[in-house]
Order: sequence, then C-alpha cells, then structure tokens
Amino acid sequence: MTGPSGVGIGWRPEIAGFVAGLPGLRFVEVVAESVAPAGPLPDGLAELRGRGVTVVPHGVKLSLGGAEPVDPARVAHLAGVAAALDAPLVSEHIAFVRAGGVEAGHLLPLPRSREAVAAVVANVRRTQAELPVPLALEPIAALFDWPDDELDEADFLTEILDATGALLLLDVANVHANACNRGGDPTALLDRLPLDRIAYVHVAGGAEHGGFYHDTHTDPVPAEVLDLVRELCDRRPPPALLLERDGHYPPAAELRGELDALAAASGHPVVT
Amino acid sequence: MTVLAGDTWGIPGPVFLRWYVVAAVVLVAGALVYRWRALAGTPVHDGGPLGPQQVAYLNGGDQLAVWTALGGLRRAGAVGVRPDRRLTTGGPLPAGVTPLDQAIHHAANRGLRSRELGQDEWVRRALDELRDGLVRRGLALDKERRATLRRGALLVGALLALGFVRAFAGMSNSRPVGWLMLTLVPLFIAFLLLNRVPWRTRAATRALRELRREHTWLRPSAAPAYATYGPSDAAMGVALFGTATLWSMDPGFSEQAEIQRQAMGSSGSSGGSCGGGSSCGGGSSCGGGGGCGGGGGCGG
Amino acid sequence: MSGGNPATPGRRRVPAPGGEVSGGNLAARQAQLVAALVAGGPLPPGFAAAPVEAARRALLRKRAGDVARHWPLLAAGVGDAWPATFAGWAAGRPTNGSLRDGWDLARELRDRGTLPPLGAEELAAREAATRYDGRTAPRPRRLPAVARAGGAVAAQLAGRVRLLRPAPR
Repeated sequence: MTGPSGVGIGWRPEIAGFVAGLPGLRFVEVVAESVAPAGPLPDGLAELRGRGVTVVPHGVKLSLGGAEPVDPARVAHLAGVAAALDAPLVSEHIAFVRAGGVEAGHLLPLPRSREAVAAVVANVRRTQAELPVPLALEPIAALFDWPDDELDEADFLTEILDATGALLLLDVANVHANACNRGGDPTALLDRLPLDRIAYVHVAGGAEHGGFYHDTHTDPVPAEVLDLVRELCDRRPPPALLLERDGHYPPAAELRGELDALAAASGHPVVT
Repeated sequence: MTVLAGDTWGIPGPVFLRWYVVAAVVLVAGALVYRWRALAGTPVHDGGPLGPQQVAYLNGGDQLAVWTALGGLRRAGAVGVRPDRRLTTGGPLPAGVTPLDQAIHHAANRGLRSRELGQDEWVRRALDELRDGLVRRGLALDKERRATLRRGALLVGALLALGFVRAFAGMSNSRPVGWLMLTLVPLFIAFLLLNRVPWRTRAATRALRELRREHTWLRPSAAPAYATYGPSDAAMGVALFGTATLWSMDPGFSEQAEIQRQAMGSSGSSGGSCGGGSSCGGGSSCGGGGGCGGGGGCGG
Repeated sequence: MSGGNPATPGRRRVPAPGGEVSGGNLAARQAQLVAALVAGGPLPPGFAAAPVEAARRALLRKRAGDVARHWPLLAAGVGDAWPATFAGWAAGRPTNGSLRDGWDLARELRDRGTLPPLGAEELAAREAATRYDGRTAPRPRRLPAVARAGGAVAAQLAGRVRLLRPAPR
C-alpha cells in the first residue's frame, strides 16, 4: 500500500480497457460513490489492484462544505471503499453539493469566510474520525464568488488545512479556471499554497463557453494548464499527477498523448 | 429358462430386458465417448490469438460474424447507411481487413440492406472460408463431423424405436412392460441430448469464456468509450456481447440500418447468442463514473 | 416575491424559503444559492448575476450529458436537440439522479406525444423490467410484465426483456 506516485488517470468503466492497457501505470483514482464497499469490486479495478496499482477513492457527494453536519452514512461508505481498495488515502472537495434538502448535482463554492472555514473544519474532523486513512482536500473551480469573502483563496485553504491536518489535492485546471473566471494570478497563488502538503495533483481539460472557462473534463487539456503544471513542478514537484477525463473520450492516441505530456512536464516516468 | 408360449416374439421379458439394457448402455456409452473425443478440439494458444470475426463465428455462427464485421467497418467509418435503409460505403477499407470485411464492404457498396448480407454470395464465401479456418484449428465442426455425431444419436434412436415396438407388442399381448418402459425413459433423454450437436469444440467454449473474462470492459452495460478503443475492439465487443454493442456504439446507424436487436436484462455474461428477439441493449443502468467533472462551471 | 426578483417563466418549483438573509446564516444562504441554481429561485442578494447564470446553464449541460449516459437511446433519438430539450425540461427541477431524471423526461415526452421511436423503445424496455412510481427509486420487477410506450411494446420474463413491437417510424 503505497501513496500515489507518478502519472495516473481517473478510472472510469467507459475507459477501463484503455487504463488496463497502460504498462507503466501505478496509480488511478475512482469515484468513491460508484464503488460498493461490500460487493465485489468492478472487474477492471480488481485487476489493477492485483497488479499492485494504487487506487484512491475520490468522493464527490460528501458535501464537506455544507453548513449541516456530513451524513454519517456517506462517511461510512467512503471509509468502506477505502478499506475495500486498500487505499493509502481518500480525497474529497472543499465544496457543498446540497442544501435545504435540495441536490445541486454539482460542486458549489463556499464563501471564503470564517463561518465557512469553521463549517468545513468541523465536517472534515467528523470525517477524519471515521476514516481509516488520511484525507486529501481538493479546492474546486467556480464561476462566481460569494459577496462576503473575508479571506483570499490561499489563506482560506491554508486555514482549513492547518486546522485539520488534511493533505492537499491541488487541481491545476481549477487554479487556471478560477484565474480566468474570477481573476488573480495563478502563479502567485502557487507561491502561497502549502505545496509540501500536496498528496497529488489533478489535471483536466476544459473549454471556453459564453465568455467563461469551463472545467468540463470532456475537452483536451489546454496548453495554459500544462504551463501551470510546469510552474508547479519548478516550485516543488508533486509526488503524483492524475489526468481526469469524464466524457467525450478521445481516441486512445490522444489520451496517451495527454498522459505523456504530464510525464514530460513533471519529470515522472512515462506510463504509456 | 423355457420358452413360454405367451412370450412376445418368443423371447421372455426378463431376457429381452437384460439384453436391451446391455445394448442401450453400450450404445450410449460408445456415443458419449466418441462425442467427448470429437468435441475436445485444439486449445486456442496453439494457433495464435483469435480475431473478432472468428470469435463471433464460434459464439453465434454466421450471423454474428456478419454483425461483427459490420461493427468494425462502421467504427472505422468505412460503411454508412442511406435514408432508404440501404447500406453504403463511407470511406476506403482500412488496412488489415479480412475477406469478410471486403465482402461486406462490397455488399454495402452495392446498397444491400443489413439483413440481406448473410445471403450475399461473396459474404457466404467469406463465411465458409472463416469456418473452414476454424475447423482446421480444431475449434469449429464441419458438416461431416456433425453428421457423424448425429449418426450416434440415430443408432440410439433405432434402439429406442425397437424398445417402443416391443413394449407396444407386449402390451397388446397383455404382458407386463413396466420395466421396459422405465428403461425407455432415460434412453429417450439420452437420445434427445445426443441429437444436440454443437458447432464448436470444448476448446472453443473455453476460449470464449476466457475472452469474455478478459474483455469485461467491452460489456455494453459499461458504456465503453468506442472512440477510444478503435475498430477491432468494437468488433470484439459485437463478437462477445452481441448486437447490443452496435446499438450502444451507434444508435442512429443501428436504427437506420435495422440492426437486429437483442434481449437485454440480466444477460451480458451469457454472451451474444444472436437468436432473434429484440430489445434495447443500450448502455444500461449503472454508468458509474462521472459525477465529478462534467460540463459544470465549477469543476472538481 | 419577497426578493422582487420574479422567477423566470418556465421554472416550475417554488424557491426554497429563507427570505432575505444578508449574512451569518450559512445554511440558509447555501439553500438560497442552490435554489437559485437548480430550483428556479431568485438570485440571492450580493451575487453577480451573469456568473451565477453561467453556472446554472453549465449545470444543465452537465446534467444533460449524465442523463444521456443513462438513457443513450432516448438521447440519440432526440438527436441534436437533446441539450436544449433536456435543459428546457430540467430548468427549475432539482435532480433526482440521472436515471430518474431521464425517466421522468421520457414520460413527459410520451405524454406530449413527442417521444422519438428510439426513446419509446428504451422507455418500454425499462418499464417492463423495472417498477418506477415517479417518486421513489425504481425497483426491479419480480413478476413478468408487458409495457407500452409510444407504440413500442416490451415484455419482461425472469429479468430478460424483449421488444415485442418496435415503435412506429
């Protein structure tokens, strides 16, 4: 059971055959909600585990940033998946996905306020108490800001990480998207984040739509995001980088090209 | 033992029964041993890996091999369909095609409908060639071998007929026939089973099981990303999991070209027996994955 | 309308209650934001309208893609109009999960008489295999069943579904 290392890819049933065919692969991520901890693992995942590939469960529906306490059943599910996969850590988002009994269907940003920091910290601690492994937190991309931000992004994240001892899952594409849509210098943000806390890094594609940059996970990784990966690696090379692709899957050669580009930008070995 | 005047055909019941049972056991055992040997086949690894069309023939016969070739050609963009539901060619043949690919491409060029492909002369010839190759590799059975296997069943059938005649004669003669009737029941079951002659060997069945296990990611229920996988994987999906793969890969083409539908539901593991029937095979219920990214402005 | 911000026509759900809250109550403000994004609620005070609207639209696009993955034949049948058709139906309706969202939409298209043949066949097959009351999670049927939708007829026996009659084209 080793921590994530090298270049990995988000495992999805749609591309399970492609992922299984990557000879140098040592690390994948799976959407935690798609795995049943009690039942048998999805076929492809079981095979990867058999090969010694690290599988990190990535939660998307815990709603750690919700004002209400996290649902204990969802926490128990995440813990069960971590145990079933013998995962070295799990990851979730600094976001909320439901409120007032209504599902948003997506990750929504928090106000960067003391009140929100306190809500996230309380939920992260509740979750950590039940998890058998460390938790890494991922800041999300958003198109809009709350009107009452008291902290900037770096202070907001650092306060949460310091108060919880959680690891950082840095999504470079989100950093790029936020800089595009909400302003700010992405490299200046990198300078101020606790890069030594990074467990691994997310990289994904996106596209311009209606004057906004959308972090779609269904488009190619833009050159600006790869530049930002290089900026990050110049400062402190992360132990692992993971390509996220969630739809409009391109020909295998194109996906391999993106994985190779990540390897080249980070200096990690090629996995294709 | 003295011959009683009332014995049917002058043979006492117990004597007839004894010899009849011996004959039945010998015949059925002989047929089973012959069948066991004839169906063994040659392990696949002796002759290199199987191509999708070979797998399709072993899994579902001629018709599935045709759908498989069509699936590969469609994924490669080499065939299309016209508004009048006739096939057409969409581009040149890709490299490394089989004779069946060429025959179907040719048929598409002439505007055949998909269900007419199996009757096309070129396609028929290519299918014969496909089967002959599999027969030579010890995976499929040719007509002669299947006829020989049926002959064993025929002998058992003859014995069965004799037993029925004797029982009928005995009954008309008011002799007890209970034991004989009791013997006829298992013999009849053996006759039915021996009459079922498969078209592939046990080695082929093992190979198919292995291939299905290796290719679970091509199951239509996983909504495979065919754009990532390429034509030969798409063809293998049809070969192993039936036309549900075609419907999942390209519903518009499948609808327009009237591709055969396949039962859906708990199936999938059973592979694509392409036997008639229908229903929507499309990438069903639990797509899993996703969730996190998506077109949202707020990515994870 | 307390906020003086009338709901856009076509949005059906009433926004979550909460009234005017300008700070402090995180739970209520999160509920307001979710209501504005998915339930046709008014824009909470202080938020920039254009970015929130862009997020609302992006969410609908994402949901359209997710539902298409669960209902591939329905989406293929609707064709190029799928994103707009789905968005028109889903605006103002919070998600019940992609499977149920697609189901509800297919039933609505059927009732409107605009369900395409492929979608009718997919709906008939699903209804033969699964019981769905429109309010709770669908459950597999144990008994044999026949289902009709838009002229398509599907039958289920022991978990296997067959299309008895395709939808008219």
